[in-house]
Amino acid sequence: MTPLLEIQGLNKRFAGLVAVNDVSFSLAAGEIAGILGPNGAGKTTLFNLLTGFLASDSGSVRFDGRDLAGEPPHQIVNRGLARTFQLCRPFAGMSVLENVMVGCLAPRVRHRHAPRARARAILEAVGLAHRADAPVEVLPYGDLRRLEIARALATGPRLLLLDEPFAGLGATEIEPISALIRRLHASEGLTILLIEHRLREFMQLVSRVIAMDFGRVIASGTPADIVRHPRVIEAYIGRDDEVSETGEPPAGEPRGAA
Amino acid sequence: MKGRRATGVIVVLAALAALPLFIRSEYLLGILSVCFIYGIWATSWDFMSGLTGRENFGHALFIGAGAYTAAFLNGKVGFAPWWGLPAGAAMAGGLSLVIGIPTLRLRGPYFALAMLAAATIMQRLTLIFWQYSGGEEGIPGLDPLLESKAAVYYLCLGVFVVITLALLLLAGSHWGLILRSIRGDEAAAQAAGVNVTFHKIAALVVSAFCAGIGGVLYAHYQEAVTPDVFSVALSISIIIMVYVGGIGSLYGPAAGAVLLALLPELLRGLGQYRLWVYSLVLIFILFFAPEGVIAPLWRRVTGGATGGAP
Amino acid sequence: MLNILVYGAVTSAVYAMLAVGFTLIFGVARVLNLAHGAFYGLGAYAAYVLTARLGWPLLPAAIVAVLFVAAFGVAVERVLIRPLRNSALAVLMITIAVGLLFEQAMYLLFGSEARNVPAFSNATWSYAGLDVSGQRLLTLGFGAAVIGLLWLFINRTRLGAAILALSQDREGALYVGIPADRIYAVVMAISAAIAASAGVLTAPFLTVQPTMDLLPMIKAFSIVIVGGLGSIPGSILAALLLGYSETIVAYAISPAWTEIVSLVAVLLTLILRPAGLLGKRAAF
Repeated sequence: MTPLLEIQGLNKRFAGLVAVNDVSFSLAAGEIAGILGPNGAGKTTLFNLLTGFLASDSGSVRFDGRDLAGEPPHQIVNRGLARTFQLCRPFAGMSVLENVMVGCLAPRVRHRHAPRARARAILEAVGLAHRADAPVEVLPYGDLRRLEIARALATGPRLLLLDEPFAGLGATEIEPISALIRRLHASEGLTILLIEHRLREFMQLVSRVIAMDFGRVIASGTPADIVRHPRVIEAYIGRDDEVSETGEPPAGEPRGAA
Repeated sequence: MKGRRATGVIVVLAALAALPLFIRSEYLLGILSVCFIYGIWATSWDFMSGLTGRENFGHALFIGAGAYTAAFLNGKVGFAPWWGLPAGAAMAGGLSLVIGIPTLRLRGPYFALAMLAAATIMQRLTLIFWQYSGGEEGIPGLDPLLESKAAVYYLCLGVFVVITLALLLLAGSHWGLILRSIRGDEAAAQAAGVNVTFHKIAALVVSAFCAGIGGVLYAHYQEAVTPDVFSVALSISIIIMVYVGGIGSLYGPAAGAVLLALLPELLRGLGQYRLWVYSLVLIFILFFAPEGVIAPLWRRVTGGATGGAP
Repeated sequence: MLNILVYGAVTSAVYAMLAVGFTLIFGVARVLNLAHGAFYGLGAYAAYVLTARLGWPLLPAAIVAVLFVAAFGVAVERVLIRPLRNSALAVLMITIAVGLLFEQAMYLLFGSEARNVPAFSNATWSYAGLDVSGQRLLTLGFGAAVIGLLWLFINRTRLGAAILALSQDREGALYVGIPADRIYAVVMAISAAIAASAGVLTAPFLTVQPTMDLLPMIKAFSIVIVGGLGSIPGSILAALLLGYSETIVAYAISPAWTEIVSLVAVLLTLILRPAGLLGKRAAF
């Protein structure tokens, strides 16, 4: 069976700094995998390359058998590859329902389902139905994270890229979001690739981990294998402080648009 | 709540429609006609710039394109004045593509600056190529679209109301939602599958088209055009009207334009200090009422909660 | 050929003086100052008032005019721009309001007719069939000197280093305690003074009118877009490019077409190389 996502020899340089260095891996349909790596390992850059927000210097990304080279972000979304951002980026000045409706208007899904009803169903699925008419400005951060995921789901993806879905969440908020991701994977058959730099969250969520450091893939395997992998240990022990959760906002603090 | 708003709209429209029955002064009817034309310009500005958040500093480019196209066809070539409406609107729409396609792909102030530059340069070109454009004097001696001032009043009011309602409908539609998402966060809109460049350009074309129609009405109302229709002062006056009305609400800018265009005329002798009045109003708004005045007031009176259509 | 060489150089020098200040205040304070043309016009009008109305000799009048505009620029930055700096749109609006108020004030005070400012030099320089007024050559020399001095100031002084740091890495500069507000004021003063001196110098051979601010400003930001927003070497390069292109177009086709040059240059730049000739980023 051909993989859903196939990355081969991907490279990206910024003014002398190699952000993504010869990255190759693939993802089978229905898989839930995670990219692990310290800050600055090139994870978000990799996401930006996959979703067309950045153009790669060389290498290829094939999604569902099709080369994504040169396609703009909205077109990649329309092929069924959606993403969320590390910092929640709601559309300011709009209600929760309207935010999700924008995703429902993507050409891929617009004609198959009535956008408003579909947006309501998605809000129901992520547990935000009761806030449908609230302006996004009043949402606590945990709900903004759900909204971020709901908006990506609205575009009807086959592969969902989640950029640090637990960033900015307090300890009590992580578990519900984690459960939501697991549910999406199990019930919708969604293929999910997520980024984290904290091992603990990975252990129970993903079946495969791709570890990155300095833009390279340094290891790949089950979470249990990865924690014992010498290069992963080296990467983390070497920069211990970056595994911690410092510098992140306290739980539940409402934040506006990024 | 919805009922109160509908009642409010009907009362305002009925009053405007009945006005010529009470006002016999052709001068006053003329001023009101111009106010409605300003309303068209402000609403069309707000449709693109208010909804998508990309400010257009040269709306006069589209106004002037409409006005000069109409004047050229009617005054120089001798076409019947009504031909100006489709031709002027099409010319404005075409120019919006020339400026919009290169600049709206980019983030940053390029669109705002390019619009400002293009309008100013067009104004210079009308002076330089005076053989075709009439230079400083412009093109005089145009035919009016309709003979009686009351008929022109109804024409301007009608076009104003139709354009405003049409743009309000669009703003309240799924397309309006997409445009507002661009204003909210351009990258997030892309991630939600929105082709932001296409939608910004499409909104600009609609905006330019309506502004061009306003320009044609203006040229035939004045029965002349002068290079002032391309001026920065006009572009900025329109933005100030939008600010006063409440950016992004469409109905606020529509009302703001009518009131602000009327204000200097009502305060007799203030006509020549018009730009002073506007500049001071602008400074007041920027510092003390960044949300504008009219749309927030209207929402309070009619009990509406959030933004969007009235 | 010699005509094109000399006149192109004069035009380029004036453009560079206008564009350098505009790009400097953008690079350092992220302010797109649409009142920049008003500074240029105000310089010319101040020189006119001091010489023609008050009868001052030209040199002190020119110096006082430039200093006055510099002070005006600082006042605009302090009172109007600084409180609104959080919103790029509000800054654009307030600076364009300053430009409109300048036009209206000059119109009310001095009417719409063109005013005269005396030239520093009434000599004419003739060489190989070419006649150039001394004032134009002075403008060229002064423009080159100002830009040279600005380069020395930025690269050789502590204050210059702080300005450079702010424009290259804002967060870093603020973090190490560079007093941003004071530097914004200094940069605004420099930017306004250079624009005003361009106004004083060109006033004798261009027209001094209330609407004189607009075109130089359009030129300034066309150059800045072509050169790359925030890049001083970029604006100098673009000033030369535009100055010479316009001169060549004026000679080869007709002076009427020069106005289109900058618009075409801007649109071509945005299509082919959005970050500008020497710019790093397409956005801010």
